[in-house]
Amino acid sequence: MLIADLLKQEFRKNFRSQTFYRSLAVKLFTGFMAIYFAVLFLMIGFFLGEILEEVHETLDPVQLINGASIYIVLGALIFRFFMQQLQTINLQSYQALPIRRSTLVNFMLLKPIFSISNYLTLLIIIPFAIRTISAWESGFVAFQFVLNCILIIWANTWLASYLKRKFSHNLKALIVILVIVAGFVALEYFKIFSLFDFSMKIFNFLTIKPFGWLVTLIFAAIVYGINLLFFNRNYYPEKFNEKLNKGENKVVGGFSFLEKYGTIGELIRLQIRLIFRHKRTKTLIYLSVFFMLYGLLFYLSDLYADSTTWLVFCGLIITGMASITYGQWVISWESNYFDAILTKNIPSDIYIKANFYILIAFNILSYLISMPYFLIGTKIIYLHTAMFLYNTGINVFLLVFTASFNTKRVDLMTKSSFNYQGTTYKSFLIILPIMFIPILLAGVLNIFTTYNVIMLIFGVLGLLGMLLLPVQMKLSTQHYNKRKYAMAEGFREKE
Amino acid sequence: MIQLTNLSKKYNDNVVLDIDSLTISDGESFGLVGNNGAGKTTMFRLILDLIEATTGKVTIDGQPVARRDEWKTFVGSFLDEGFLIDYLTPDEYFAFVGKLYGKSEGDITAFTDKMADFFNGEVAGNKKLIRELSKGNQKKTGIAAALLCDPKILILDEPFTALDPSSQIRLKRLLNELQETQEMTMLISSHDLNHVTEVCKRTVVLEKGKIVRDIATSSDTLKELENYFAV
Repeated sequence: MLIADLLKQEFRKNFRSQTFYRSLAVKLFTGFMAIYFAVLFLMIGFFLGEILEEVHETLDPVQLINGASIYIVLGALIFRFFMQQLQTINLQSYQALPIRRSTLVNFMLLKPIFSISNYLTLLIIIPFAIRTISAWESGFVAFQFVLNCILIIWANTWLASYLKRKFSHNLKALIVILVIVAGFVALEYFKIFSLFDFSMKIFNFLTIKPFGWLVTLIFAAIVYGINLLFFNRNYYPEKFNEKLNKGENKVVGGFSFLEKYGTIGELIRLQIRLIFRHKRTKTLIYLSVFFMLYGLLFYLSDLYADSTTWLVFCGLIITGMASITYGQWVISWESNYFDAILTKNIPSDIYIKANFYILIAFNILSYLISMPYFLIGTKIIYLHTAMFLYNTGINVFLLVFTASFNTKRVDLMTKSSFNYQGTTYKSFLIILPIMFIPILLAGVLNIFTTYNVIMLIFGVLGLLGMLLLPVQMKLSTQHYNKRKYAMAEGFREKE
Repeated sequence: MIQLTNLSKKYNDNVVLDIDSLTISDGESFGLVGNNGAGKTTMFRLILDLIEATTGKVTIDGQPVARRDEWKTFVGSFLDEGFLIDYLTPDEYFAFVGKLYGKSEGDITAFTDKMADFFNGEVAGNKKLIRELSKGNQKKTGIAAALLCDPKILILDEPFTALDPSSQIRLKRLLNELQETQEMTMLISSHDLNHVTEVCKRTVVLEKGKIVRDIATSSDTLKELENYFAV
């Protein structure tokens, strides 16, 4: 069958790509993470029944799950909308061959169904179905529950890619959707209309009634049909692969005040454009903002709020996540045009300085954005201020200095959200001193002295580092000048 | 004046360039020809300090180029798409490069107006990003950006490939004009012997990293080169 052939080719493409064999460390790390999450999911699935029994007095776990289902499904849809990579195939190489277009479209839609990562949640679902649902209801219901979940995963995948193709350049539509969702949450909260009860009715029907799964199947088929219709309407690939983010030029026009600062201002402006015009960098920034919510978890929980080391960890992330994640690939971001950086009139010290300023700007922005946490108490004010100073005075230097060890080209045109192309073991090595030295330091100091003194020490360390900024920049420039040939050579190598 | 002394570049014992001595004087138009792998791009990259020489050095006006920034103020170059910032529009790119050389917005507009003939209405004023341009228009963008800084020295690698016939003729006219009016030093490599002999007063043939011919262009040059490359 043709679709099977196409899938096989896709599989080969992945295994034969050069990156597959490169960087074992990255593989090991992702493998380790995969195992970690798999075990975690299995545990959750195993104990979910017991946990849910505790949650509510009258409703049983199955009803609770069914009531929550609509939220889970919508949440997953929103997550997919932002994170899921749009399935595209290299149409040009296939289009000329005598393959029917409908085959190609079906292939494109079916491809994600065969991706293992889609089914990770089954690790929670299956143990839960076996242990809890079969006990409360019956084996058949448990089976139907799993089947429904798989069908919903399919429907969600297709719905997300449809919405994405349709609305991804239309932020207003997206905002409308988010407002509607927020509206439902509010109705629920004020007990005006319960989406929970509504969801319980629907999903009870789907899981418990004998032919409930048929309804889910029809739903999935309808979503699939909508996708087919979309491709019928937009026949040519340039239509549905349309990626040019129009109107984005305006966003950047606002930074024209940087023009006053000569070469350094131009370099910073260039990188701002780089960030706003590539999906990968934009996602990175969104994620950093998202990570700021960590504070809610840590600062408000009794378990962590009294542990200095946890607080230091959290403070580091909140005030430094953006600069650390972006800084991991600083200079490498510009690998596409690194030869231009080397030959145009850009003195190396100015170039390094610009990179310092960008990372420092990230820190300042993070500090400002996270200010609402100050309401929690002076403890957090001290923490954020100390960690901001430490990140700015010490971590920024570590990032820029070690950046010159990265010799792998970062290809900004690959579009996925969780894109770690260009990652080498070096990227992980640099994270170690940045994250663990301060945590270790906090742990050791915690034995001898009080919280406020520890914060003072971090703050002073950071201030000292900032006083030494000219020296830091000079050292980084010297190092960069030594390493730039190796970098340029690595950057020229396309994958 | 560009001087190459004892310049060599090796990759794992594989010699890709080996030049005892070569001097390119001010205002000279220097053409570089040779088959694939002869070392043309390597030589240009060494002059532009993009790779480290295994031995020897390159000096411009007596100053070594390696690890220095000063020469960048008066050398314009375009070797390949690695010189283009692909997520900018050509106008934004010209503005960026122009600012690096202290040009005002008026200077840049005047420049793009002057190049309008060469752009053929397609490069400047276009809302497309550079990465969406055709290869030919990308090349025009790169060449224009190299000229934008009013360079004393201009280095172009294969400037004629990917250009349409009219653009090739326009480019030749432009380069000849620049030689006459501004006495610009030019280093141009090409596979096309015709183009080189039309634009350059001196032609050097590279083979396996060594200079095998160094000819002052005359009416016989084309014939001589054709004979040399005949198989």
